[in-house]
Amino acid sequence: MEVFTPRSLAEALRLKAEQPSAVPIEGGTDVMVELNFDRARPEALLNLNEVAELRGWSRDNGLLRLGASLTYTEAMAAPLSEQLPALAEASRTVGSPQIRNRGTLGGNLGTASPAGDALPPLLVEAAEVELSSVRGVRTLALEDFLVGPKRNALEADELITAVLVQPSGARQTFMKVGPRNAMVIAVCSLAVSVDQERCELRAAYGSAGPVTGLVTAPLDEVDSFPERVAEAASPIDDVRGSARYRRHALRVLAERGLQRCLT
Amino acid sequence: MARLIRTEKEVEGRYTEQWIVVDEDVLEQWPAGPLETVGRPVPRADGGQRARGEARYTADIKLPGMLHAAILRSPHAKARVRRIDTGRARRAPGVRAVLGPETGPLTDEPPYEGAPVAAVAAETSEQARTAVSLIEVEWERLEPLLDPEEAVRRNELIDEPNREERGEVERGLAESDAVVEAEYRTQTVLHNSMETHQAICEWDGDDRLTVYISTQFIWGVREEVAKRFGLPEDHVRVVCRFMGGGFGSKNGPGDYTYVAAELARATGRPVKCALTRREENLDSGNRNSTIQRLRVGARSDGTLTFLDGEFVNATGWDGWLASTGGPMRLLYACENVRTVEYGAKLNTPPMAAFRAPGFVEGTFGLECLLDELAAKLEIDPLELRRRNHSTHDAVDERPFSSKQLLECYRRAEPHWERRDEVRARSDATWKRGVGLASQVWYGGGGPPSYAWVRIGGDGRAAVITGMQDIGTGSATAMAQIAAEELGLPVDRIEVALGDSARGPYATISAGSSTIPSMGPAVRAAAADAARQLIEIAAQRYDREERVLSLKNGQIVSSDGGSWPLEEITGLLESGQILGKGSRGPNPTGMRVLTFGVQVAEVAVDVETGEVVVEKIVAIHDVGRVINPLGASSQVEGGIIQGLGHTLSEERLLDPSTGGNLTQTLDAYKIPTIADVPEIVTDLVDVPDEHLTNLGSKGLGEPPIIPTAAAIANAIRDATGADVRSLPITREEMLRALREASRQPAREEVGA
Ligand SMILES: Cc1cc2nc3c(=O)[nH]c(=O)nc-3n(C[C@H](O)[C@H](O)[C@H](O)COP(=O)(O)OP(=O)(O)OC[C@H]3O[C@@H](n4cnc5c(N)ncnc54)[C@H](O)[C@@H]3O)c2cc1C
Repeated sequence: MEVFTPRSLAEALRLKAEQPSAVPIEGGTDVMVELNFDRARPEALLNLNEVAELRGWSRDNGLLRLGASLTYTEAMAAPLSEQLPALAEASRTVGSPQIRNRGTLGGNLGTASPAGDALPPLLVEAAEVELSSVRGVRTLALEDFLVGPKRNALEADELITAVLVQPSGARQTFMKVGPRNAMVIAVCSLAVSVDQERCELRAAYGSAGPVTGLVTAPLDEVDSFPERVAEAASPIDDVRGSARYRRHALRVLAERGLQRCLT
Repeated sequence: MARLIRTEKEVEGRYTEQWIVVDEDVLEQWPAGPLETVGRPVPRADGGQRARGEARYTADIKLPGMLHAAILRSPHAKARVRRIDTGRARRAPGVRAVLGPETGPLTDEPPYEGAPVAAVAAETSEQARTAVSLIEVEWERLEPLLDPEEAVRRNELIDEPNREERGEVERGLAESDAVVEAEYRTQTVLHNSMETHQAICEWDGDDRLTVYISTQFIWGVREEVAKRFGLPEDHVRVVCRFMGGGFGSKNGPGDYTYVAAELARATGRPVKCALTRREENLDSGNRNSTIQRLRVGARSDGTLTFLDGEFVNATGWDGWLASTGGPMRLLYACENVRTVEYGAKLNTPPMAAFRAPGFVEGTFGLECLLDELAAKLEIDPLELRRRNHSTHDAVDERPFSSKQLLECYRRAEPHWERRDEVRARSDATWKRGVGLASQVWYGGGGPPSYAWVRIGGDGRAAVITGMQDIGTGSATAMAQIAAEELGLPVDRIEVALGDSARGPYATISAGSSTIPSMGPAVRAAAADAARQLIEIAAQRYDREERVLSLKNGQIVSSDGGSWPLEEITGLLESGQILGKGSRGPNPTGMRVLTFGVQVAEVAVDVETGEVVVEKIVAIHDVGRVINPLGASSQVEGGIIQGLGHTLSEERLLDPSTGGNLTQTLDAYKIPTIADVPEIVTDLVDVPDEHLTNLGSKGLGEPPIIPTAAAIANAIRDATGADVRSLPITREEMLRALREASRQPAREEVGA
């Protein structure tokens, strides 16, 4: 297996165009699991760890630009955590300190698992995904980027370069249900926000359907919102939990989330 | 003079008679309480080495020219090999040997998923695994038997059912004012030792074999390997210097050792066979699941009138019938007790001993049942246990060698009295409560076990024995015992262990037996060396022996004068003082048992079903405590493992195929440090005056026994719901809450 280590974004995009089958690797916390379990045997890896343009975050006219290489540990730190509090909360629940130091937003989006913990808070904040290739740059709403379980809208020659968010300033929170207190993939999770300005309730669930799903309602429909969230989800039975429990838990999490954001 | 006597031996509750040779003069027990070194906290002698990664476990050993084995395991719960082609595997890069199902222990009729079918030795483990994937097998799949109740109906049993009865249950039933009947279930759990099962086999010619192995019993491995290969036992050397956990699953050699030995013989090179985590969770043993149908009756004053239990153990393809009914037979004074235990023979991986096998499962059922009875009788659960305290062993009418359970209860009181305060912290979502459960177990150890003590010219001592330290800190405890007897600081004692060629026979490290079996032998060996030191000091310094003693590295005379030990040992230059000691018999006609009680405080989120264990107080009677620091580590480890069994761990099988769905640590959830509650350890520390020259019993197993029941009882206290099935997942918790809300509200317990 070959490993390419580009030093700039331009070089990375060129390599990806030449070798579309090369698998990008950031923190490797998903890629290496795939390799170790022998679920994937890619011909080449495209190591993005030396691409400075993908790192960190910046703000331009209020619009936040989160680099694809932004780690959970970075997302947990102020002042970013004050701008995107639900994302910070979600980041704190990810894996262990080691995983949070290595794991990135770009990787979470690349994997596009319905259990990805960064996804619900970003959906609630109406984030967009910036995709780049030698052909140019395009942005997609996160909802449109997530096309199926572990499937996203990336073209073979594209890389995720950033996540773009206009922070709503709304009260928001993230909650996760797991069989133990750390190192868990969610049985189900929920991000909730109450946007007084736009008069909107927003919730996004994880691990309760083929993709992370967004549910919205007008502000005055608080009472029926938890039920609506539970009904919008399409969970399954698996080793982590039953569909019935997931739906029940979503309803409880929605109630609690609303309570937190309304008081 | 050596004396030959006949004595009784107990391992995990099973008794046998045996001959042993005992020393003439028996040492008096030391006084109770902390001594110079014994009874005081001493950090692990090898703690630094382990923490720095310098300790060499079997997993770290790389012998020159060593090959790696990989095993092809059955993907089916029951199948027959129609055709197998190892041709491509043989030709794969790095492959040096391939064994097919015709070589034992490999089989062409695997009776459970994960059973070994073929094996490869190659230069690297990756090459070996690749070659295994190239073995082509045409399978004939057969219908597996997976349901334990069905197996019992069909009489597919691992052994005869074990029926025991004293008194008459029907009579007890007639005398009862209250009867409680319930069914409890416990799940299959996996040991998940940090170091997976593994062995390296190296032949020296064709009649000498060295086995490096991660094991709890080097002498047992030696005996079984010698038998299998027709070798004199002294031609088999077994080495286990550092060991990464076993919990009962590493009591014998296992298939992997034989595979390594066969491949080593075929290739003339050393071969390592190390299980992967997936293999570990498939085929290295488990605590089998149980179904327990229990009944208890009592008079209105709480006196138990009868206990009746039917226990179905899902033993698996192989293994033995764990004594799930043991706690019911042993824990309480009750005249009428009937138990029947079945071991279902299934197409599932064999069970193995797992930290108090049978008793962990049986105590969950019994101690929950007792609390349900207490609620019905409106008697305080602690009081109910006191009223049924047994003063002697009712199974065979023997006195206990010692029993401090009432003292454990007394010490539990202040924690138990927090009930109202804890409950008062409940709100609409989080309900809080306190529960307790008692524990009984074996743990007295027994003969034979031997130790040597060697004192050099520099006045330092070495304890030499063929025991193994399986990670419990028993080597440190041995150093403390020798240091106490020799009057030396503990850092002047070296403990050499883990090699059958470099020390005498020692106990298996299972059944909480290492300290109670080995400790007395080490003390006897040190006393033998101490006696010789005193004798020669008396001659050298012209004193009577009776005025001399060993203290702080000095020879001290009670009529004045003291001399550093090395002054006299130094005279010998390269000469050495050699002491030897052996484990004496257990007290005749007595029952040696360990006891304890745990108090759990929990919080239950009644909306999501989340259970948070906030605190566990563990009070145990294990006789004299050698190292309080090591002992509290054992208690913490037991409770954390018990917590996993209670809340999150479960091996799941696909109900239609019998395939294991939880082979990785991602799918199989052991607790993380974030799940660990506050743990308070309180050991009664009163020596068992009848047991050996130490009065110490074992502690490895007792702390895991009552944890699940204490938590379940605390949940009942908090919510009124009866949880009767492990693990108490959120879904199980919600189910129990739903059920409780359907029943008429119950009176406050102990109000
Ligand atoms: C022990 C453990 C615990 C975990 N716990 C959690 C958890 O609690 N919650 C959770 O959500 N996840 C968890 N994960 C999964 C993982 O850590 C996250 O999904 C993480 O965000 C992945 O980031 P990464 O940088 O490591 O991705 P990588 O493994 O490097 O990549 C992941 C995927 O994204 C693709 N990719 C990466 N970067 C780009 C890019 N710039 N452009 C295009 N494609 C790209 C890769 O090709 C790959 O397909 C855990 C993983 C482990 C091993």
